[in-house]
Amino acid sequence: MREGDMQGYVEPSAIRMKVSKSFDDDSSLSKNNSNVTSGDFDSGVGMNTRKNQVASQNITMNNPIYSMKAKFGIRSPSVPNFQDSLYSGNNNSTPILNNSRRFDPGINKNESNNMDTRKYWKENADVDSAKETPIDNNKTHDDPAMSVIDLYNDDDGYSRNNRSSMGHQLEDYHLESDDEEDEDSENNHESSEMLAAVSNAEFLPKSITLNRKELNTEHCDRYGFKKKNNYVSEETYNAWWEDYSGYCIRRKHKWLLLLQKSGLPVHNDIPVRFPPHSEKLKRYVRKGIPAEWRGNAWWYFARGQEKLNKNKDVYSNLLLKMGNLEDETQKGKIQDLDVIERDLNRTFPDNIHFQKEAFSTKEPVMIKSLRRVLVAFSLYNTKIGYCQSMNFLAGLLLLFMDEEKTFWMLVIITSRYLPGVHNVNLEGVNIDQGVLLLCIREYLPELWTEIESSYNGYTKNTPNNSANSKNLFLLKLPPITLCTASWFMSCFIGVLPIETTLRIWDCMFYEDSHFLFKASLAIFKICEPDLLKGKPSHRSFSQYSLTNTKQHRSNACQDDYDMQMFQVIQTFPKTIIDPNDIFEKVIFKRRLQLNRLDQNEIDKCRKYVAVQRQKHKNYDDIIGKLGNTSPFDEKSDEQNLHGGKFIDNSINILGKDLKMTSEMVNEALSSEVYDFKRGFSGVNWNNSIKERVKHMRKKK
Amino acid sequence: MLQFKLVLLGDSSVGKSSIVYRFVKDSFDEFRESTIGAAFLSQTITLEENNQVIKFEIWDTAGQERYKSLAPMYYRNANAALVVYDVTAPDSLMKAKSWIEELKKKVGNEELVICLVGNKVDICEEDDTKRKIEFEEAKDWANDENLLFYEVSAKTGYNVKEVFQKIGEQLYEYKKAEQANKGTQDNSNITSNIRLQEPQASNPTSCC
Repeated sequence: MREGDMQGYVEPSAIRMKVSKSFDDDSSLSKNNSNVTSGDFDSGVGMNTRKNQVASQNITMNNPIYSMKAKFGIRSPSVPNFQDSLYSGNNNSTPILNNSRRFDPGINKNESNNMDTRKYWKENADVDSAKETPIDNNKTHDDPAMSVIDLYNDDDGYSRNNRSSMGHQLEDYHLESDDEEDEDSENNHESSEMLAAVSNAEFLPKSITLNRKELNTEHCDRYGFKKKNNYVSEETYNAWWEDYSGYCIRRKHKWLLLLQKSGLPVHNDIPVRFPPHSEKLKRYVRKGIPAEWRGNAWWYFARGQEKLNKNKDVYSNLLLKMGNLEDETQKGKIQDLDVIERDLNRTFPDNIHFQKEAFSTKEPVMIKSLRRVLVAFSLYNTKIGYCQSMNFLAGLLLLFMDEEKTFWMLVIITSRYLPGVHNVNLEGVNIDQGVLLLCIREYLPELWTEIESSYNGYTKNTPNNSANSKNLFLLKLPPITLCTASWFMSCFIGVLPIETTLRIWDCMFYEDSHFLFKASLAIFKICEPDLLKGKPSHRSFSQYSLTNTKQHRSNACQDDYDMQMFQVIQTFPKTIIDPNDIFEKVIFKRRLQLNRLDQNEIDKCRKYVAVQRQKHKNYDDIIGKLGNTSPFDEKSDEQNLHGGKFIDNSINILGKDLKMTSEMVNEALSSEVYDFKRGFSGVNWNNSIKERVKHMRKKK
Repeated sequence: MLQFKLVLLGDSSVGKSSIVYRFVKDSFDEFRESTIGAAFLSQTITLEENNQVIKFEIWDTAGQERYKSLAPMYYRNANAALVVYDVTAPDSLMKAKSWIEELKKKVGNEELVICLVGNKVDICEEDDTKRKIEFEEAKDWANDENLLFYEVSAKTGYNVKEVFQKIGEQLYEYKKAEQANKGTQDNSNITSNIRLQEPQASNPTSCC
């Protein structure tokens, strides 16, 4: 397979397909068809999934009410269908797509997505219908009964719920009509709509029940991820989804009304423009963007189109360049390619869209797209190249948008939201971890006490000659950050369950990167009770003068507690299956201090930490030379790359005045503390050292 | 019970996480998600000879080269390191060697137990032409460097337990010797689990 993989870089057809990755309804449909036609016998999960897709597609086609419901997120297992056709014009891929359609209908079937759904579906149906098995014909052609099965398959709980307890539902609306006056009026409208849908559901033919059972072997969620994992059982998932799918429907309805009010069109259930920023919109986003709109909404809020317009043809040129790599022997020299290749099959291996079809050796289209996006990115931004975790970022984006957009969103995420985090030296990770620690100290003081004392225990043996400062934890990060680094690198993918992750992504694109910190604090907030549960009873670390045995005991105690803490931090987030646990219990609680955190604060904080870390490095540099103790990490120079922009390199010039400088630095390191909302001292201090440097130079 | 910190290092996709999962959960997945940052797991074993229970605090790390800059965070205070390579990928042994050099240089702990592990031997069993690194080659090098050495298969489970068992024994030996040095001759009195490692050699930059 390796060889085949490599071909992906160069195959002209691969390049032609650049558009492809995100299938929409059509492509998923065609995928189903092709699957059937190719005579696969898989009767397992995958097959059912595909059947469902076909059928639910069908619903959307034929019955407006079902279509609405299906689009409301009940449709199961989601195809990455959340495709928009509107930007396809800007996508160089369009002509390419046409090519591929002409020459390779097979590829087209599987991969093209930027077309008008209905039209394309029809085309495909025509092409394939001759080969379709009777069963599938049944499904693909108007059989509303079948459709309904699929409609409810994913969450039969939801339909049950609706049928039996309409009253309860209505109550829910009122509870949820959270927001504001003007939304209350929406409730009537909404509930009557629901009623219509529900009554429809009630008149389903009986045969459906049977079929439903048969299809109910579905184990994937609407994005194609396995429902079950080590932390959440399928039962738990289904129980939660029963409620949450209803929530999604209600939210989507509110969104529709909001867009309507704002005079924004919703073509084919896919809006491409959204209202201007407002408190109200922020609240809507925080309550979740409808899943099938996410691609467009993220693209819109992150101003992706702006970026794309400024860089027309860049992506397709990168793909060409990628194609040329084949000829060049240097291909092997590009280290990133190898790492990318090894990560392709390790990106969402549990997601059906990233898996090979049963009995097929063909590489999934999703994987091909992923390769192109990642390789293109590594060619585009050589400072970052490829960093593990970007495979997940790109992979998730591909479920919601096409390849080119995914590429640009990746560019935006790695530069705007997570600056420096994926750089070769990963300094951005360290900076963000430092910022997170400062935030914890500020907003979760009780937890901070634990982290700090654990940290003191941890570093007690380390010679602190380097910086006897209150900020040591920014420089030598406490072990807890080993767990939290990945929260930022992959924007919570794999850290939180998917639906929760997506809700945070919604807010990240709307509110900017500070939301990642807010979300982190929220996670800490809700697992705080667990975290503090096992804390050692006595823990003053001023006690090192005590006898050996006692010291050992307290160390043992601390070690146990540390391990428990790591365990909680690592596993607890994976159990937060309901996004509203985070949002309702923390984010929406205005009185919680941590909700004061804003972008401004984070920006300042990031600069502060960057400066502190750089100063520390410079200081170590100097001290290292002074005392000849330890040679400074040879990498340091290259590592300065990231922090560089924040940093006053003038300290480096001071080699000759070592002693004086080290005193200065030491003094500054120990006195300076970051104050939230109380101005930013770091820059000023930095200026002051500049002044002194100048002064010293003059003297000479 | 004795508690030790063990860190896994090695090139990307050599099977670090798979080895840990085999050891901790006794399971295996053909495709395992790439590890981002680090994953923390723990597992206990019992040394049969003396009925000593040992708890491993395991830090599984991301393998990509650039994550090396975070590595000092992982191996700070580590008692043992499992450095993994892939017997079917020649480059991976080079990477493993450089990890070992770094460990020896930066950790500065004589008693750090380092075990070199060649993974994926199951592939060679199926098709010996796939093997790119001979057992003797790696074994000899490990001997020269005074390391423990094993070839394992996370997929079949071959030798995985043995690796941890051996490391546990070695750590226990060190521990016993340390106790003896301290004059606390009575081994039955080991109630604590002191970190074996002394403060790292004054290397303030080793944090990152």
